[in-house]
This record gives sequence, C-alpha cells and structure tokens, in this order.
Amino acid sequence: MKMPCARLIPVCLLLALPGAALSAEISVDATSIVSFEQRAYTGAPKKDIVPATQFLGLDAAKLADGNLSLHVYGWGRGDILDKSYNNDQFAGSLTYGYLQYRFKAANADVRAGRFFVHEGIVNEQIDGASFRTDLPLGFGLSAFGGANVHTKKLYNENSDGKGSGNFGGRLNYRYKGVLELGASGQYETNAPALVNYPTVNHRLAGGDVWFSPHKSVELMGHTSYNTVTKGVAEHSYLMNVKPLQHLVLTGEYNDHRERNYFYSWASFSGAALSPAEKSHSLGGRASYGVSKAVEIAADYKHYTREIGNADRYGADIKLSFLNNSVRSGLGYHYLRAGKEFAIGGTPSASYHEMRGYIMHDSRIYFVAVDAIGYLFKEKVNSEKAAWEAMASLGYHITPDLALSGDFSYGRNPQFTEEVKGLARLTYNMTFDSKGGKK
Amino acid sequence: MKFFQQIFPALALAGLIMILAACAQMKTIPGLPASHPETLAAGQQVSCTECHEDNQKGTLKAYNAFNHSPAFVKNHRFYASSDERLCSTCHKSSFCNDCHTNQVEMKPSIKYGNRPDRDMPHRGNFMTMHKIEGKLDPASCYRCHGRANNERCITCHR
Ligand code: HEC
Ligand code: HEC
Ligand code: HEC
Ligand code: HEC
Ligand code: HEC
Repeated sequence: MKMPCARLIPVCLLLALPGAALSAEISVDATSIVSFEQRAYTGAPKKDIVPATQFLGLDAAKLADGNLSLHVYGWGRGDILDKSYNNDQFAGSLTYGYLQYRFKAANADVRAGRFFVHEGIVNEQIDGASFRTDLPLGFGLSAFGGANVHTKKLYNENSDGKGSGNFGGRLNYRYKGVLELGASGQYETNAPALVNYPTVNHRLAGGDVWFSPHKSVELMGHTSYNTVTKGVAEHSYLMNVKPLQHLVLTGEYNDHRERNYFYSWASFSGAALSPAEKSHSLGGRASYGVSKAVEIAADYKHYTREIGNADRYGADIKLSFLNNSVRSGLGYHYLRAGKEFAIGGTPSASYHEMRGYIMHDSRIYFVAVDAIGYLFKEKVNSEKAAWEAMASLGYHITPDLALSGDFSYGRNPQFTEEVKGLARLTYNMTFDSKGGKK
Repeated sequence: MKFFQQIFPALALAGLIMILAACAQMKTIPGLPASHPETLAAGQQVSCTECHEDNQKGTLKAYNAFNHSPAFVKNHRFYASSDERLCSTCHKSSFCNDCHTNQVEMKPSIKYGNRPDRDMPHRGNFMTMHKIEGKLDPASCYRCHGRANNERCITCHR
C-alpha cells in the first residue's frame, strides 16, 4: 500500500464515526445527590454541610465495526453551605474513561484511556493502554502500561506519594475447569521524593492459583513479593467446600509482612504499623440457603498481630418474601479485642455489633429502614454506644428515573449527635435490555 | 516522552498480540459474549446454576464457582483477579468502583442508602469504629485506601 493511501485510512474512519455513532447503543447512568449533614462535636459549635454531588456515567457500545465501545464515569461536588471536605468548595474526579476494542475470539481486548486493572496480585488504576487475550493450549496473557492516576496530595507534601509510570501484566495457564496458575507483576517508576517519608516505588511480583479437583471443592489464593524490599508481602488463601448445593463452607488464611506489604503506604505509618511486624488472620464462614427465602451465614475470624490478638464471630440471616420484593436481614457480631486495639485511653476494644433492615421495592415506590448499633464493652469518650438509624423512601417516576430521600439520626463518640438527610435522583438506562442489571 | 517509554512495552506487546490474534488458531478459541445474554434483576443472590447446567466447556470454570452466595460476595476478590472479563459481562466498571476507586468522597452505603441489602463497607458511624478496625487489620484497608482514596484520611492522618 502506498503512503497516501495509508493516510486516508484514519480519515475514512473518522468519516465513518458519525454513522457508527448513530447505530451505537448508548446508555447513561446519572445519580444526583444533595445531602444535608448536621454534626455536633463535643464542645464545638454545630456544623451544617450541604454538598451537592453529581455522578455521571456514559457507555457507548457497538461503535465503528461493532466491537468498539466507550466507557466514561466520574463525579463532581459543590458545597452549598459550610465546606464539607478538606477546604475545597468544589471537587471532582474522572473515575474512568476508556475505549475498548473486543475481538470476537479468545477473549482478546485492547483498552486505551483511564481504567482499572485487576490481574492476579495487581490492582491499579492507570492512564494508558492494556490488552488481554487467551492463547492456544490454555495459556493467557495480559499487559498494561501507562501513567499512574494521582489522587489527593499527602499532608505537607507535594504529591500523593505515587510514582509517575506503572506497567505490568499477567501470564496464566488453565487446565479445563480444574486448575489455573498465574504469574503477575507490576513495576512503578519515578516515585516522588517526599519530605517526611522515604521515596519508594510500588513494585510487586507474585503468583496465584485456583484448583478445583471436584466442583464441590475450590482452593485459591495468591502470594506477592515486594521486589524493592526483597521480601514476601502477602499470602492470601481461601478454600471453599460445597458439600450440598446451597451450603458453602470457607476457610481463609491471610499473612502480611508489614514492611513489604505497606512499603508504599506513606500516609499511615502510625503506631499500629510496625515495619518489623508480621500479622495474620485465620477465619471460616458457613453460608446456607435454606430455601429461596431464607439464607443463614455464620463466621469466625482470629486476628494475630504483634500488639495482641482478637476474635470476631457472629451470624447473619437474610430473608426474602413476595417474590423478592421484600428483603430483610438481621446480623449480630462480637469482637473480642484487648486494650492494644482500643481507641485512645479505653481499657478494651471489644464491642457488640447489631444490625437489622427491611426494604420493599415495587414498580412504583421503594422504602427501606436500616439500623446499626455498636455497643462498646467499655465506654468510649463516655459514650456507651455508636448507633445510627436510617429511613429511605423513593418513587419511580419512570422505570429509568427515580427520586428518593433518606434521613438518618445517630449518636456516637465521634460527633455525639449526627443528623443526616439527602435527596437522590437516579437515572439508569440499560441498553438493549441485555447484559444484566449492570 | 517518558510517558511513551512507559507505555511502549504494552503497545509493542499489543501489536504482537494483534498479529497473533490474526492467526487462524486464535480464531478458534471461544470468547465470552460482550454482555450476558440474559438480564438479571438486582437485589438477589444470583445463582448461576439455577439457569446454567454445569457442562463446563473450554477453560471456563464451573458455573457454581460464581454463584453469588454470601461467601462469594465476601471473597469476590479471588475471582476478580483472574476472571474480570467474566465479571464485566454483567458488571460495568462503575459497579465495582462504587466500593473501590481512586478518589471518592461519599461512602457507598450513603450513595445507596436505599439498598440496605447490599454488602457495602462501613455502615453506620465508621469514623469511630475505624480506630479499632484499622489497628486490627490494616491490610484489609490497604486494598482500598493508602495508595488511593485518601481524600478523607489526610485531614487527620499526617
Ligand atoms: C477525624 C479524624 C480521622 C479521619 C478523618 C481518619 N482517621 Fe484514621 N484514625 C484516627 C485516629 C484518632 C486514630 C487512632 C485512634 C487511637 O489509637 O485511639 C486512627 C487510626 C487509624 C488506623 C489504625 C492505625 C493507626 O495509625 O493507628 C488506620 C489504619 C486508619 N486510622 C485509617 C484511616 C483511613 C483509611 C482513613 C480515611 C478513609 C482515616 N483513617 C480517616 C482519626 C481519623
Ligand atoms: C436467569 C437465568 C440466568 C442466570 C441466573 C445466569 N445466566 Fe448466564 N446465561 C443465561 C442465558 C439464557 C444465556 C444464553 C444461553 C447460553 O449461552 O446458555 C447465558 C449465557 C451465559 C454465558 C455465555 C455462554 C456462552 O457460551 O456464550 C456465560 C459465560 C454466562 N451466562 C455466565 C453466567 C454466570 C457466571 C452466572 C452467575 C453469576 C450466570 N450466567 C447466571 C441465563 C442465566
Ligand atoms: C451473570 C451476571 C453476573 C456475573 C457474570 C457476575 N455478577 Fe456479580 N452480581 C450480579 C447481579 C445481578 C448482582 C446484584 C446486583 C444488585 O443487587 O444490585 C451482583 C452483585 C455482585 C456484588 C455485590 C453484592 C452486594 O451485596 O453488594 C459483587 C461484589 C459482585 N457481584 C462481584 C462479581 C464479581 C467479582 C464477578 C466476576 C468474578 C461477578 N460479580 C460476576 C450479576 C453477575
Ligand atoms: C459492595 C462493595 C463492593 C463491590 C460492589 C465490589 N467490591 Fe471488590 N472489594 C470489596 C471489599 C470490601 C474488598 C476487601 C475484601 C477483603 O478484605 O477480603 C474488595 C476487594 C477487591 C479486590 C482485592 C483488592 C486488593 O488490593 O487485594 C479486587 C481485585 C476486587 N475487590 C475487585 C472487584 C471487582 C472487579 C468488582 C466488580 C465486579 C468489585 N470488586 C465490586 C467491596 C466491593
Ligand atoms: C472496598 C473498599 C474499602 C475497604 C476495604 C475499606 N474502605 Fe474505607 N472507605 C471506602 C470508601 C469508598 C469510602 C468513602 C470515601 C471517603 O469517605 O473517603 C471509605 C471511607 C472510609 C472512612 C470515612 C468514613 C466516614 O464516616 O466518612 C474511613 C475512616 C475509612 N474508610 C477507613 C477504613 C479502614 C480503617 C479500613 C480497614 C479496616 C477501610 N476503610 C477499608 C472504601 C473502603
């Protein structure tokens, strides 16, 4: 092909775009929330804050040859009365904005723009490009590269602590529905020089496994290794056993080496994070769907840290009636934890947690009542409990458009008294009536 | 320039893959549909096996592994890290980013105050409770805060 011809290709593509856009399936999700919050701090005047927040998402599928799609989501907020956060009257963020091209075969796709990456041990958000594909013989490959997406600057620093570039990927192998092995890694570059913390790059390598010798047994997990500190950062493993169709028994084990896992966690190098520490947790959960209407679950977890250990156990029940249009749940948990974990000056960190809710969702309206209470074993700031009760009422103006309002009241050691209310307008349009309630 | 140096390896690999994708063998590897063909209602513990028989094909994992039992919802991270493309046949990225994202101000339990049945983190007054939970299991917080979503924290954590 001669050069001028090649140059014409993008021009032709551009000319084709409006036509393609017409045939595209476009969907918009918008949530507007105006909230009101009155907080009473002990010994300080009450503060009224009224932030108005707009969340907006746009998805355009079937662009160009039908395999290209565009996905954008973000939010913006303005304060009507007192400033609500960090002294900014206005704030906003582009959560993601990317073009995706999906190939028909092999689950192959290319993404370009701002998006999230979840590949094995890697969990990042970047401005850049990525691609993924399955390969013959059960192999698969993915790679991403680009610039880190920055967030709020750390206190007294000129950056958020993240480096400028970030790339990595994952190679995996799958054998039928029995085994998957993955190797993944990420490499951050140009970590900023911070005033109060060392300059550290976030670089990890690791492996993950999923093994299911029988469909009623699954073993999965991952281990990550920090290539800068040269040590294991995390082991995290889970086993599921499903002896009956609706019974799931799980056991999990997590192990963290603080220095390696939290190396680039600049903002919380607080007392509880000793770099020499290893911490682990061991837990189990059983959930059983007694019938379509009743689901029960019980869980237990033991936490071990250098400063002490703790146990948490409890149970939840979920009920559903009238063809799932009425849903309700009750839960109780107890945390047994010593003084080491307690809030400054309290002799114990133990508390009871209780929660109950009920909601009804019909074609015309929806209503919900929710209450949660934490009952401390020892008073915190001379308060015995932290609790909150919430009621929500909404009306479907059209199937896609709904208006709702929430009101909540609570008391707790932090604010003594907290009154919150909000009005919410949601617009959800799902294209082609397919793809689930995305 | 630096930026291009950084994305270059990915672009080069992407190019390589496109060439690979063109070859006939790749075309025979089955792919997932762009979106799940059946609309599922919100507010249920989706049970894949209610509609899908477990005749596992290709390298797809057994459907019952993805049944949204309370255990699956609590441990979804293990599935998301290797099957994100399956998740995205039903979930838009924003569904996930309601709970974990780079920068947001509103707790998900407030954004969805009308959905107490959802498994949102930090219900009630978490400002108080986090002082206990953060010491108990800081690693669990790092999955969402620390390198991201610190807007709120930096007013006190300095
Ligand atoms: C209103 C102030 C305030 C805000 C805002 C705040 N914290 Fe804290 N946090 C505290 C205090 C005070 C403690 C220590 C309590 C104690 O030891 O008695 C603490 C403790 C912690 C701990 C335990 C480790 C340590 O350093 O003691 C973690 C982890 C933590 N916070 C995470 C967060 C995260 C993540 C955010 C933001 C999403 C956040 N905090 C926002 C006041 C705050
Ligand atoms: C209400 C019924 C229903 C439920 C529940 C359901 N599906 Fe499906 N699913 C379908 C139908 C109908 C199709 C299209 C026909 C087919 O391919 O089997 C489909 C297709 C699929 C496909 C594409 C199969 C192919 O070969 O192209 C995948 C993958 C899939 N579903 C995954 C899931 C997963 C994972 C879950 C659980 C989280 C789930 N489905 C829950 C009805 C359902
Ligand atoms: C076949 C469609 C389908 C697939 C595939 C699917 N989900 Fe879901 N998922 C749903 C539906 C429907 C809900 C309920 C949403 C609601 O109630 O608003 C849900 C809910 C969830 C929730 C939230 C539960 C809560 O209580 O807040 C999580 C987390 C989740 N899915 C994770 C995943 C992950 C991770 C994957 C991929 C491994 C996945 N899902 C794959 C349909 C699907
Ligand atoms: C209802 C809130 C909620 C939703 C919706 C949700 N998650 Fe999560 N996610 C969590 C919580 C809570 C954790 C931490 C769990 C833990 O510590 O075990 C988590 C952890 C993860 C992790 C591990 C991160 C790390 O650094 O180790 C990944 C990956 C993940 N989720 C992916 C997803 C994907 C993909 C979706 C959308 C399909 C999704 N999540 C939707 C609440 C949610
Ligand atoms: C699944 C992701 C996720 C995990 C895991 C998580 N958080 Fe959060 N957290 C959020 C989101 C989203 C917000 C809302 C944004 C905000 O207020 O800054 C939030 C808000 C908070 C707040 C402000 C609460 C308030 O009342 O406004 C604190 C404090 C906090 N988190 C601490 C923690 C601590 C401590 C842990 C670990 C025990 C933790 N978080 C784990 C997602 C998460």
